[in-house]
Formats: sequence, C-alpha cells, structure tokens
Amino acid sequence: MTISRRAAIGAAGAGAAVIGAAAVSVDVANREKPEPPAPPAADARGDLVWRNWSGIRHSYPKERAAPASEDELAHILKTSPAPIRAVGAGHSFMALVPTDGTLLSLDSIAGVTHVDGDVATVWAGTRLGDLGPSLATRGRAMANLPDINKQSLGGALGTATHGTGKHLPAIHADVKALRLATVDGNILECDATKNADIFDAARVSLGSLGIVTQVKLETVPNRRLHRRVWLEPFETSLARAEERWNRHRNFEFYAVPFTGLAANIAHDETDEPARPRGPETDSEFLEALKTLRNLFGFSNTIRKTAAQIALWSSERNPEEAVDEGWKLLSTERPVRFNEMEFHLPAETQLAALQEVVAAIEAHRPDVFFPIEVRRIAPDNAWLSPFQGRPRGSIAVHCYYRDEYEFMFSLVQPILRRHGGRPHWGKLNSLTGADFAALYPRWNDFLALRKTLDPQGRLLNDYLKGIFGEA
Amino acid sequence: MLHRVIFSLAALVLLAACNAPSPRLSPAQLAALKPADSREAQLYAQSCKACHTRSESGAPLVHDHAAWDPRWDKGLSTLLGHAVLGFQAMPAGGQCASCTRKDYEALIRFMADREEAK
Repeated sequence: MTISRRAAIGAAGAGAAVIGAAAVSVDVANREKPEPPAPPAADARGDLVWRNWSGIRHSYPKERAAPASEDELAHILKTSPAPIRAVGAGHSFMALVPTDGTLLSLDSIAGVTHVDGDVATVWAGTRLGDLGPSLATRGRAMANLPDINKQSLGGALGTATHGTGKHLPAIHADVKALRLATVDGNILECDATKNADIFDAARVSLGSLGIVTQVKLETVPNRRLHRRVWLEPFETSLARAEERWNRHRNFEFYAVPFTGLAANIAHDETDEPARPRGPETDSEFLEALKTLRNLFGFSNTIRKTAAQIALWSSERNPEEAVDEGWKLLSTERPVRFNEMEFHLPAETQLAALQEVVAAIEAHRPDVFFPIEVRRIAPDNAWLSPFQGRPRGSIAVHCYYRDEYEFMFSLVQPILRRHGGRPHWGKLNSLTGADFAALYPRWNDFLALRKTLDPQGRLLNDYLKGIFGEA
Repeated sequence: MLHRVIFSLAALVLLAACNAPSPRLSPAQLAALKPADSREAQLYAQSCKACHTRSESGAPLVHDHAAWDPRWDKGLSTLLGHAVLGFQAMPAGGQCASCTRKDYEALIRFMADREEAK
C-alpha cells in the first residue's frame, strides 16, 4: 500500500491542529501502548531466543543449522535434535516455527541455478526479494508476488503465500517440480507424474513432510507494469471491486476503518518507459492513521470527519509508477503488525468484508491498520486454501503493540461463517477437525505425513495439535 | 480555516523534515559497505542491509557515527539484547535464524564502525 507523503503530512497536520484544541477542551486519550514485554534473550542453557517478525512467537532452539548443501541438509534431518523446524523470514504469525530442538535456515541454499525456457530452477532458501532481480537478469519474472517480499521461497510455498489477481494463482501453483529432503536422509524428486501425490501434498505442507530444497518454477517474461494507487469512498471500492478484478492484471484494495475510505492498487502490463516508484511512504500513512486513532478514538464520527478532511480532501489524484513488476508488486512494510487472513469463496468476500468493517468500527476503536482485500485464482495442492475454486482474501492487521486476541472472537467467526479458510501462516484458532471439514484431502495428507515422518521429527507442538499427534 | 491551519502545520512539518541531518554517505556508498569476513558479509546482506542502508527505514545507517555513537555508549550487551529481542521497528534478531551471539556482536560492531582489529 502506498499513499503519498502529502496525504500523511496532511493528516499529521490535522492531528497537530487538534492537539491545540484538545488542550483547551477535549479529553484526548493517549492510546499508544508500550512495547510488549519481551522474553529473556537467552534461556538457562544460554541458548539465544528466536522470535517471529511481529514478536508474538518465540522459542529457544538448542541448535541452529544453516546447511550449505542439500547433502548437508539431509544429514541434519537424520541426526539433529527434534523438532526440526525450518524458518525463513519469520513472517508467520502462527506457531509454525517455535522449536526447542533444531532451527533450520535455508539461507545458504539459495539462488537461481538456471533457467530453461519458461522454467527457472530455484533453491528454496532464496528470498523473494532476491529472486526478482535474479530472474530479471535472465529476462524472466515471477508471475505474481505477495505484498511483502522478505519471505524465503520455501516459507512462501509452505504456507500458500499469495499475491492478488483474478487470473493469478498463489506462488505454489507455479511450481512444476520440487525436491523434498526427508527425515530418513533421502531426496525425493516430485512432479505431476513422479511421486505425484507427494508433489500435490508437499507444495503446501508447513515443513511437515520434509524440507523442500529446490523447485522448478514457471516464470513469465519480465514485463513492465503500470501501477496506480488511489483513495476513494469505501462504498465506491465495494461497488467496483468485481469490475476491477476483471479488468486489471493485479487489483486489491484496502478498506480503511473509521475513515469511510479505501485505498485501491492496480497493476497492468505496459510498454511505457519506466517511471520508478518514489520512496516508501506506507509508514507515514500508518503513522497518520495512528495519530487519528490516538486523537479521535473517542468518537467515530469525529475520527471519520477528521480523516476525510486530512486524507480524502487532499488526495484525489492517483499516484502512478511504471517499472518491472518485481519492483512494484511488493512493498517494504517496515511497520510491524499481527495479522489474520482468511480466504473466502469469491461470492461471499465483499459481504464478509462489510461485516468485518462494521464489527471493528462498532467494537474496536483501537484498530487503525487498513484491511486488505485480494482475489486469487484456484489450484489443486491438497492443503492450498485456494484448492478447488477462486478465493477472495480478507486480511485484518493490528499494530504490533496493540491487542490482537479480539480477532479470534470478533473477526474469525464472521470469516468462518462466510466459508473462509485461514492463511496457514496467519492468526487463527482452527483445530484439526476444523481443517478436516475444510480440506477434502486432509486425511490423505495426514496419512502421507505419517509415512514420510513416522516419528514426527518435523512436528512442533502446534503441528502435533492440528495433526492429531499430541 | 481548518485547511489553512493544516497546510501551515504541514509546511512546518516539511520544514522540519528538510532540516533533518542527511546521511553522511550517499546511497551508493552505503550499499557498497560490507563486513570483510565473508560469513558476516553474507549475514549482513541477508538480514541487516535492507534497513540499515535506507534512511526512510528509521534504522541507524551503517557507519553513521552520529546515529551509532550514542547507541554504542549504552554498551555492546545492551545492543546485543536489542538485536536479539527486537527493538521498536527492528524485528527480533533481524530475522537472522542462523546468527550466533558472535555473529550479532560482529554485525553490530561493523554497523557502528567499531570493528576490532584482527
């Protein structure tokens, strides 16, 4: 999401103007929360803590392994203390990574080995942010990217990470073959004809079947995209969303609660000369929204009026940029947050969104982050949230210092009632029985997992819980 | 009237931004800096560089003594604690899963331009 510095400064200016007024007559509550309490930096053994990006998950791994080759990785899987959990950028909000056994980084098994036609062979430790420029030197690009590109390719595949675009599936759907290192020290080659069941299960498998080491990734020509970002009334975005998903290569919008506004982002292929995007301004926009929350959180009406004056009145023209897709589709997102995202049937997505916005505006004035709304094409991986039909995603974010637990009781029930499947890496409280009801191949996955890792060396407490191995 | 107030304050904010000290090194110079040790250079590139060479990230820029010297005065153990646990905008450990205590100390020393002679 990129909203201009001008808008953010306008909002900050509006906030400052009201500080003066507040000093006279208005009781302005300071809603800033302190830094959340941190766990000890090391445990009694002296092992350093690992925390996820947002800070809500942590553990003290006994060993940290960063193999430099597939063979070394296979040896680690056979011999290192369990549970063995792979980690990339630590962007998962669910407890997928925490382990007191072995924390496994694939950072040293990274890079593009070669490109053959449309297909790139890529090591799974490659960060998405590094994959873009590497493919670009060969004239290729990933078809789509998520809105953050810090993740490792393996982590993104394992959790079904996705971008947006009605005709664009999640990243794992572009995997045409993969190599899986298993706990017995073997490397399995898998594609649609060889180990086909493992291929369909392993593309989205939470690091629970083995460790995906390398994939053959279908790519597209490295085209320039025309990026447009604009604000408009939320009702307009709702009314025109389907048309825009049909029209644009990539389209998403962010409902901005307590403002009556939505930020829209569209990308389309173009041959226009490059007009690079300016510096990242998301942080300023979020700071402006936080300022509005802090100052006007006591009244939705005043908060909305102030937001419309500060943001909407000054921000009628779209921001535009033209550049190669890998430079535009992802943003830095340096402000930390916690997130819940569910993927719903496309036909229920917008109704669910309206309910979520209404519920947050009625009950959670502390929320200020925009709500992200995307569309994803279907695929056939067994545990893909997009398995079988197109899905529309709704993602609710909370500033990392703010309470997030309310999402389980306020937001999740709405998203579940509308047929949603949770993002594997994002907040949810679903059980194995819930997943069994959502995924037709769930039991097949469990059986396969037991075959590949009978001792559960790859399972931490969370995975044991949802797989019924506790 | 409110608009006039907003734009006046916005101008002040802009003015303040213009007066902020600029990094001493150019973006190209910042991007070219890296630890001499190949392991530390790899870890730095993977986990530190994206924020510590980009002024808009808010992180202290590599080799920026104006930013690092007051932090260095707090002691290496304090800085190590901040790096491991995360501090304000910085995610825990810089999300470097394979970094050891020694790696963190070396990376902090490099960014603060306080590397030990070897």
